[in-house]
Amino acid sequence: MNSDELPDAKLQELAQRLGARAAERLDVERTAQAVVTRLREAPRGSVVTRLWLQPAWLKVAATVVLLLGTGAVTRGLWRPQGLAPAGGEATAAGLNDLSTDQLQQLLEIVDHPTDEAAPLYPADASLDDLTAPQLRELLRSLEG
Amino acid sequence: MPHAEPVAAVPTDAALIAAWQGGDEQAAAELVRRHARALARFLASAGAPDADLDDLVQETFIRAFRGVDRFRGQCRFRTWLLTIGGNVLKDAVRRARRAKVVPLADELRATDGDPHERAVAGEAEGRLREGLGGLTRMQREVFLLRAQQGLEYDEIAAALGTSPGAARVHYHHAVKRLKEHLS
Repeated sequence: MNSDELPDAKLQELAQRLGARAAERLDVERTAQAVVTRLREAPRGSVVTRLWLQPAWLKVAATVVLLLGTGAVTRGLWRPQGLAPAGGEATAAGLNDLSTDQLQQLLEIVDHPTDEAAPLYPADASLDDLTAPQLRELLRSLEG
Repeated sequence: MPHAEPVAAVPTDAALIAAWQGGDEQAAAELVRRHARALARFLASAGAPDADLDDLVQETFIRAFRGVDRFRGQCRFRTWLLTIGGNVLKDAVRRARRAKVVPLADELRATDGDPHERAVAGEAEGRLREGLGGLTRMQREVFLLRAQQGLEYDEIAAALGTSPGAARVHYHHAVKRLKEHLS
């Protein structure tokens, strides 16, 4: 049979029958009670929990942790003993205030080569005002 | 002239969703009663094994209720639910593949194990199921939402995050391939 000989109506009819028996076997009332029970046992998390469960947040958080960890290890290997940290703690504390977009922007910029000759970021600049090298510098300061 | 008895208003999906958001568990249960069979039919048609159907339906509703804040009425609740079902099924198939329980192709084709029921189901349905298993996910979902659920392209597009024109193209590709498979 040529493919054009099967009318759409016939195909639709077949599609509408498909899965009908399996659906009929479903015990809807039992399913409804099971869903309610599961919802009750594991209620929706707080707003913060739900936000942190978003994949984008997880990726950003994992990357930041990795960068900070790498920075800490590098600092431990290369910094002369007894040298004071360069004020990274204050900036790291501010990282918690960044939005997802800002963090992603930061990570994107970190992933790309930058102009090393650019000036350092001004102390009163917001993250949006910073250039790529400035953000790089910021990241360095986070790493100590 | 006698007055007609007032008919109890049937709450809309939107009203039930709002009630659930306000903590009414029975509103959630009513939404399950209302949409579970359509969801089961969609999942079964999309390749869900019968043995897993109840679990997949439950998981879909759980995800939907937990993420209901993201539902902004861009399409009907049922349509939104079906697309979540598609994701739940995809995840289940991926887990099965990782666990190497059943190869993907077999998993998608799996139907009820009862030979009598399978015989009754008819050859054409079986072949359509096979054909659906050979489509891309987008083609399969657009086809089922259109042919089985009777949705318009606008709503399908809104639910699947595509354009109505693209949904139409996916549908026609699906129909063409299914016809070839059935011929």
